[in-house]
Amino acid sequence: MPLENSWIFPSIESIHVIGLAAFVGTIVLEDLHTLGFRIPDARHLKVWTHAGLAVMLLTGAVMFLSDTTRYLRNPAFHVKIALLVLTLTTHFTLHRRGTRFAAGLSLALWTCVILAARAIADFDV
Amino acid sequence: MFNPLLTLARWLQDTSLRLDLSQSTWAVPIIGAIHVLAIAWFGGAVLVQDTQLRRFRRTGISILAFTGALLFWSQPLRLYYSQFFRAKMILLVMIAVITLLPARHARLAMAVSLALWAGVILASRGIAYR
Repeated sequence: MPLENSWIFPSIESIHVIGLAAFVGTIVLEDLHTLGFRIPDARHLKVWTHAGLAVMLLTGAVMFLSDTTRYLRNPAFHVKIALLVLTLTTHFTLHRRGTRFAAGLSLALWTCVILAARAIADFDV
Repeated sequence: MFNPLLTLARWLQDTSLRLDLSQSTWAVPIIGAIHVLAIAWFGGAVLVQDTQLRRFRRTGISILAFTGALLFWSQPLRLYYSQFFRAKMILLVMIAVITLLPARHARLAMAVSLALWAGVILASRGIAYR
């Protein structure tokens, strides 16, 4: 069902962005702390990280299912999903070790995922 | 009646920077991407007590304000008349006012500003559509 002409799609997009702020926002705090920046330990915010991830996966799936043809022919979407799979995999494996390398890699990879995601709007054909 | 905000929007609309921004293929997408990236990078700061993250928070607000100002400059009149843009600005002013609350209300201030920031994001997405 195409949702473009109603208020539902923008609302789901907004919730996706709110999830982004909670999810990546808390990961960034943790990574900067690991890298030695003067940022307090944010481990108690883990619940926000996981809630944010759940919200993003759910709203993301709804947006994808609302117009699968649009997304499947969009090159930026393919790049985003490939980067997302890679980044989520490292998040639940390498990132857990809490090394400085893993923190720096995590910051770089999440930044790339977001840039690719944002580009979906620019590569509609 | 003299309307300073409309006068400003009209003046910005006629600047050459507005033309450059709105006619460039990549300017607005790139500035918009940095704006969203800043939400992700600095959004977590809303969940942490003010005093511990002052510089981090200020960096985020500065990047958002700078890229936001450029995005406004790319289409001042459309945004001036956008209901969602007005709602967003009002919500931002409310957040600014809440930061003035005394420290003993820090927990309440954080809860209210969290809700207001969620409103800011909702209004922001609306701007793209109307």
